[in-house]
Amino acid sequence: MIEIENLTKMYGNHVGVKDLNLAVRKGEIMGFLGPNGAGKTTTIRSCLALLAKTAGEITIFGLDSHRDAVAIREKTGYLPGEFGLISSVKVSSYLKYLLSLRGYERTEKMMSLAKRLELDLNRKTNELSKGNKLKVGIIQSLMGDPDLIIMDEPTSGLDPLMKQEFYRILREEKKGGKTVFMSSHILADVERVCDRVAIIRKGQVKVMEEIQALQEKTGKVLEVEFGDPFTIDEFKLEGVSEIQQDNGRIVLTIHENLDGVIDAVSKHRILNMNLKTYNLEQLFLKYYAQGDSERGDA
Amino acid sequence: MMAGRMAYMELRTGWKGLLIFGLLILVVSAGMVQIFPTFRDSLTEELEGANKVSLELPDEQGGNVTLSWESMENATSYMVLEDSRLSMVTAKLKYKGEETSITFEKDFEEKRYYAVTAVLNETSDPLLIGIATTEEGENPFQELLQNPIYKGFTGGRNVNMLEAKGFITLEFFSWWWMLAGMFIAYLSVSVIASDFENKHMDVLLSTPISRRRYLIEKFGAMTVVALLIILVATAGIAGGLTSINALNEFSADVVFLSLIGCLPFLMVIAAVGVFTAVLFQKVRASMGVTFAFVFAEFFLYAFGGFSKSLEWMKTISIFQYWDYASVIIDDFFKAGDFIVLTILALVLLIIGIWVFEKKDIPA
Ligand SMILES: Nc1ncnc2c1ncn2[C@@H]1O[C@H](COP(=O)(O)OP(=O)(O)OP(=O)(O)O)[C@@H](O)[C@H]1O
Ligand SMILES: [Mg+2]
Repeated sequence: MIEIENLTKMYGNHVGVKDLNLAVRKGEIMGFLGPNGAGKTTTIRSCLALLAKTAGEITIFGLDSHRDAVAIREKTGYLPGEFGLISSVKVSSYLKYLLSLRGYERTEKMMSLAKRLELDLNRKTNELSKGNKLKVGIIQSLMGDPDLIIMDEPTSGLDPLMKQEFYRILREEKKGGKTVFMSSHILADVERVCDRVAIIRKGQVKVMEEIQALQEKTGKVLEVEFGDPFTIDEFKLEGVSEIQQDNGRIVLTIHENLDGVIDAVSKHRILNMNLKTYNLEQLFLKYYAQGDSERGDA
Repeated sequence: MMAGRMAYMELRTGWKGLLIFGLLILVVSAGMVQIFPTFRDSLTEELEGANKVSLELPDEQGGNVTLSWESMENATSYMVLEDSRLSMVTAKLKYKGEETSITFEKDFEEKRYYAVTAVLNETSDPLLIGIATTEEGENPFQELLQNPIYKGFTGGRNVNMLEAKGFITLEFFSWWWMLAGMFIAYLSVSVIASDFENKHMDVLLSTPISRRRYLIEKFGAMTVVALLIILVATAGIAGGLTSINALNEFSADVVFLSLIGCLPFLMVIAAVGVFTAVLFQKVRASMGVTFAFVFAEFFLYAFGGFSKSLEWMKTISIFQYWDYASVIIDDFFKAGDFIVLTILALVLLIIGIWVFEKKDIPA
């Protein structure tokens, strides 16, 4: 659906992204993860031809991102990471206006999205809270029923309940055959809804993998707090790749042999226990840390 | 199906400002015409005043000049001021006394002006009786209109300020260009640059609207606005003329024709506004440059009128290509000028589009 080859974007002497490669498949929800300043927004805005490329190719729907920008936009919805609205108009007239620019006359989807996200369409655009403004942005990106939905940090600013509803909406879009490409720097958000994830750092995609494969590869984290003494050696078991200990707590990274580990743990008095199903968080942090060491080598 | 939506939205969200500005134009243009009868009467009085003072020049060099004037009731004395300029800013007192005639030697070559005033009492200002000049056959008030700045507004023609035509040519058009020009400059810059500053551009340009379409629609909205304010001004002047029974002097369609000539003039300003807005992507910088453009064009035109060697300045000024006086006074609409400005506006718009398509949208 989206193929990015060796994309480079320079802002003067400043590197936005450098030789970035990325592919989004039709029908999937792709997460785009990276720290601040990694190049997520740059990549996304290049796809929409809002930025001129310095080098490289971007193909969307098999069309050239810049030459055929208008044809692509006919089938693409976009939520910018930062955006403003026309001031002092009713939200409903604003949204209808944007629909009309798409030549799309049906408003049912707009209405149902507003209902699901609990947005009052009769408010004025300049009276909205930050979260409600974001909802307007989300609705406008989806209401024209586009085949491709590109979102730059859609979840930062939504409350937990709204987030859940938002994920449900995305899953439904996916079921309807739509493709979603969304950026975030909150791993948990991406994990909950995405099929695949691309991790970007310093303008380059470092990892691009199925969430599940990544989860299997990285394992699970078991955190236990004991009420009696224990030794680290007790937990040096098959399938445990990492052990950390501080005071009465122990943190294990487990790939397999979960029941063996649980056996070992249950020999002690357990005060508290927490099993995080995956460990992307750590992986994510690992990539950043790696960045620091790379910087040191250079 | 989508054409004109953006232009329409622009007009719809900006209708309050447009309405206020439209009313302002209507009131000012209709109101200005109301001043005309009073203006005409006082000017007539002043011109008659010029006849109240007569000046006899000597036949030969070095003879005597005789200046005489009609006496005025209640005058305790008279004062005569002398200057080489009509403006009298460097005037010297030539005479003060009770006579109504003075004679003095002509010991100068250049022209001189004499203003005769009557002193009524010690506390009030002297009253002007009239002005005379040593230049034969010249009317000092007509001469005032020969000032290059005034000439600029009449295209070098002599206008009769005693007719509504002349009055409107000088009194309306001398500020209309600025009012309308600044308004269009302000609008054209802000409708585009504010989309950058409000970060609304990302949303708009994610719809299937190309950047070219975007600018053409905004420019189109500006054309509609320019046309509207021209119509309002036409209605204002024509209405004003009707109310003072002067519409027989020249008809509403002459008013319209003289004003419609500024449509491409305003479109050039709008195109410069569009161009600077996409170039700087900021309201303030773009507005500053666009305003500077309008004034620079005006001064080029005004300075171009100062002397023959500076005439080239006029040809590069857009003011040269909007000759309303030609319509009002000569009854001739310069279609060629209209086309020149239209082409210029379109060329500037095309350059604006080209620049816009090359540039990044700031995040
Ligand atoms: N207009 C600009 N001029 C100069 N440098 C820029 C500009 N926009 C972005 N950059 C730089 O490009 C790099 C990538 O920025 P980008 O906004 O794409 O990051 P991001 O991954 O979206 O970050 P965030 O999570 O903070 O939104 C950063 O180093 C940033 O400083
Ligand atoms: Mg960003």
